[in-house]
Amino acid sequence: MEERSIGMEVNDVKIKAFPAEEFKDNDTLQRYIDELKEAGSSVIVGKLDQLINWGRANSLWPIAFATSCCGIEFMAAAAAHYDLSRFGMEVTRNSPRQADVMVVAGTIVNKMAPLLRRVYDQMAEPKYVVAMGACSISGGPFLNSYNVIQGVDRIVPVDVYIPGCPPRPESLFYGLLQLQRKVKVERFFGNKRIKRNYRPETLIHPETGETIDPQIDFDNE
Amino acid sequence: MNNREAYNTAMKEIIQIIQEIASDAQIEARQKLTVTVSPDQLHPIMEALRRNETLCFDYLISLTGMDWGDKLGAIYQLSPSADLTQEVVVITATTDRDNPLLYSVTDLYETAHLNEREIYALFGIRFINNPDMRRFLLNDQWKGFPFRKDYIHDPKLNGETVVSSEIIDIAPRIMEGEGGELIEESVAVFEEEDYIVNIGPQHPSTHGVMHFRTSLDGEIVKKIDIHSGYIHRGIEKLCENMTYPQMLHLTDRLDYLSANINRHALCMCIEKAAEIEIPERAQYIRTIMDELQRISSHLLAWATHCNDLGATTAFIYGMREREHILDIFDKTCGGRLIVNQNVVGGVMFDIYPDFQKDVKAFIHYMRGRLKEYDNFFSHNAIALGRMVHIGHLSHEDAISFGVTGPAGRASGWSCDVRKYKPYALYEHVEFKEIVRTEGDSYARYLNRLDEIAESLHIIEQLIDNIPSGEICAKVKPIIRVPAGQFFQSVETGKGEFGVFIEGRGDKNPYRVKFRSPSLSAVSVIPLISEGAFLSDLIGITGSMDFVIPDIDR
Amino acid sequence: MTDSSFFLVVLLAGITLVAVGLGAALLISPRSVNFQKGEPYECGLPTHGTSWMQFRVGYYLYAILFLMFDVEIIFLYPWATIVRSLGITGLVSILMFIVILSLGLAYAWKKGVLEWKSTTSK
Repeated sequence: MEERSIGMEVNDVKIKAFPAEEFKDNDTLQRYIDELKEAGSSVIVGKLDQLINWGRANSLWPIAFATSCCGIEFMAAAAAHYDLSRFGMEVTRNSPRQADVMVVAGTIVNKMAPLLRRVYDQMAEPKYVVAMGACSISGGPFLNSYNVIQGVDRIVPVDVYIPGCPPRPESLFYGLLQLQRKVKVERFFGNKRIKRNYRPETLIHPETGETIDPQIDFDNE
Repeated sequence: MNNREAYNTAMKEIIQIIQEIASDAQIEARQKLTVTVSPDQLHPIMEALRRNETLCFDYLISLTGMDWGDKLGAIYQLSPSADLTQEVVVITATTDRDNPLLYSVTDLYETAHLNEREIYALFGIRFINNPDMRRFLLNDQWKGFPFRKDYIHDPKLNGETVVSSEIIDIAPRIMEGEGGELIEESVAVFEEEDYIVNIGPQHPSTHGVMHFRTSLDGEIVKKIDIHSGYIHRGIEKLCENMTYPQMLHLTDRLDYLSANINRHALCMCIEKAAEIEIPERAQYIRTIMDELQRISSHLLAWATHCNDLGATTAFIYGMREREHILDIFDKTCGGRLIVNQNVVGGVMFDIYPDFQKDVKAFIHYMRGRLKEYDNFFSHNAIALGRMVHIGHLSHEDAISFGVTGPAGRASGWSCDVRKYKPYALYEHVEFKEIVRTEGDSYARYLNRLDEIAESLHIIEQLIDNIPSGEICAKVKPIIRVPAGQFFQSVETGKGEFGVFIEGRGDKNPYRVKFRSPSLSAVSVIPLISEGAFLSDLIGITGSMDFVIPDIDR
Repeated sequence: MTDSSFFLVVLLAGITLVAVGLGAALLISPRSVNFQKGEPYECGLPTHGTSWMQFRVGYYLYAILFLMFDVEIIFLYPWATIVRSLGITGLVSILMFIVILSLGLAYAWKKGVLEWKSTTSK
């Protein structure tokens, strides 16, 4: 049985017209590839993996989850000037069951957090989360507010962070291309996904007041 | 001119009436005429102002909750709809901090419903005779009142959670009985057998995170209950710990489609309070950028309204036009949506060399596009069928709910702040105020397109005459606003946006309040969409054009 | 003979296509189950009340009318394939068929079935 790990090099992960040297962060991707290298797979399954991942990466359907200003920049990125349709992502689905990626565009406050979590849970696997804008990365300009969640990765696990207030459409595209590279590196068969960032330190139940850890199934083998 | 003299005499009469009703009221002529009364006298005074025949004060501009340390109270800003240049400010306060009670004015002004609920959520003041005293912006389980000065935020008490709490549709209230005693009761918001559906907050057509809890009868909307607060970031509270220049950044995030105009309002309020004179060139740049921002706001409103009705092509066209304006903003100051251009004392960045050429090219281009929109959408049979006679808002309701902007002017109320309380260069340019009387969605739709044409006309008059000079006055490094209360209104794309600052001579404000036009627009939705089809509800919310962070602040 | 075997081939191909599609999805799809995923989706909030309730009769009437005209279309297809060989008699008989169904539509239209009526007085 020939052992060959797929996506051995960062340069093997191809994005059309955007060579790997022009991405700023290749080390993280290389680390992901190394983590996934454990049990190699046969050539046939590996090629099938690549085919499926190519299809998946080029048609990630986002769910419409725009809360504030970053939502307008997302809409501008989806419009004609900065066309999101080139990446296959112009179909913003309204129902989470039909969506692949949740672009959290805007501030998430305490009242909205359960909804964000519920919509994330109702999405079907494989699913991804992109934190767009300063508010969803760390609370943004509203740092000391009593009502703002200081970073959406306290609620849902995040794949890509896109800084900016609001990020220009070009920044959004760069983040989405990084997400595409992440998808292409994954192993679809055997369901080896990459661990994502998640730090739910102080989620509190509203009535009992205890800390809770919402169920997240990452590596569902 | 007859009217003006009649109104001036009427004002003197009103002052006499107030003194008759409440002999211990303090009447001062500060920036606005201010009347300070005790809580018992509040309702009679407001009623006298509201029912006055010559000068009827039927427009409650803003209702601000205040915590003055020892007292909790509210500030009412009133104006007659017939003469918007007159304003009266009524202040009342109670010393009881454990169970503060004030009399409600919901029987006089419909806009007080949501405003009083907001004051209850943030300050804890309950209003007697308000039919629905639920909290407006915060969770039902929130403990404490965040805007009070002695509130300390405890993350353990009001923590972040991912567990949804059930929404209970019971509205507590305090009513006054015949003998003057207070009865606490609860009423159900919906009936027993109602079929209740949540529209929003995660919804593509609610223009943000608005939650309409709707009871449906098949396809027909029976009753809508507005739940808000899904983007309540506590901006007004954050401002109290920031210096005046730091505060400017948060105004851009309120109504982000009119970001420049909001910031302009705050800058003007601080400049008037601190008595800072702005150079002429800065006024020109501010006015031109304001009008460009207004065009981009109306374009997005048009685009999303048509998208809600199903015409996605119109959305793409509107966003395409908007990109031209965003390019101009980008080249001037680096920001597309959040335009950090206005500062206290002037503007931050000067115009770039090709600014006038670009703007003139845009004006010419946009005029052609307006004709195109008229050709392909405004007279389309389906568009007419979905907008004409839908969502009728009457003149009296528009004033009582405080709906200004293109939506208010579509109901026959002439309320353009640029005409009645002019600021910047609006006294020196000539433009028409677009008023229609039908009050349906189609009138609001046409109002926005016509206002784009008027804005182009205003820019044309200013673009060639920009004087040379400085763009920002010399301002002290630490700006202090003297003690007092300062108001400023501007006309954004959605309506009248007001800023209220109470200063104490420090470098931080004591209290900041933003009067939100979108709050009035959304408070009128349950009224005008009762009995409409579900798909018409989406069309109506699109035509009223509100932006949610403006409501929740 | 060839017709029936052709039909059999088409039938088997249809069954195989569906079986392969669903089977492949069943085998290679990732599994993940949590409580929230089984809940009905209502804009992120938990639903209120029960969904087993009386529906307005207006929905039923629209559905029935659509069904009738859908079935009419299905009857029109075989006629359309052999319209030339049937000649005038075929045309007349199909016209009578369509006219009878249109009478039903006219009756429904006149009775106001096509407008939505509210059951609560407004």
